[in-house]
Amino acid sequence: MHLWDPVYNRAMEVPGQLGYLLLNEEGAVLSSAGELENDEKTADIIMGLLTLASTVDPTVFPVRSFKTLSLTYDQHCYMVCLSNRKIHIVKKSLNIPTSTNELTVNI
Amino acid sequence: MEKHIERVMDDIISSPNVFGCVFVDHQGLCLGAKGDASTESAGIIGAIADQAAKLEPQNQPPIIVVEDDTKRCIIHRNGTVTGAIYKTN
Repeated sequence: MHLWDPVYNRAMEVPGQLGYLLLNEEGAVLSSAGELENDEKTADIIMGLLTLASTVDPTVFPVRSFKTLSLTYDQHCYMVCLSNRKIHIVKKSLNIPTSTNELTVNI
Repeated sequence: MEKHIERVMDDIISSPNVFGCVFVDHQGLCLGAKGDASTESAGIIGAIADQAAKLEPQNQPPIIVVEDDTKRCIIHRNGTVTGAIYKTN
């Protein structure tokens, strides 16, 4: 069990969260859950993206200055955040039921 | 074609908070750049769009946003053309 597991287990209860991956600097999976559980293919692709994104345009964005990367599809998105030499990846649905919708269903 | 891209880039660069834009073809060659965006970044922007398209090949290419404390770079592929817009937050 990884140090971050309790935090992410709570985060998995957040409406719309579909899965998460926690990687170290080398891209090894430290922790994962949901749709991204042990998803090494996604981890590899995102590591490749991070390598490319670190040099997107050195004249405007200093090398390795970026903090977050997001990939937005029609129905869901991936949020990638670099913190404390770890890579946090969260997959979220963009169709989160609002409280109004829930109320309508209940009626 | 070039005139049309020039006009599109002029429209983009005049939008609020935008300080640069670059367009890239499917080979990573620069079609045009305006503002602070450099033509040398065309290849890497094409490569980022290629890499992101591998994530879910069954879906349309995603909108990619690379962000630091003060700026963001928004990259999107549409057909064979990839566009990148540089904005301040």
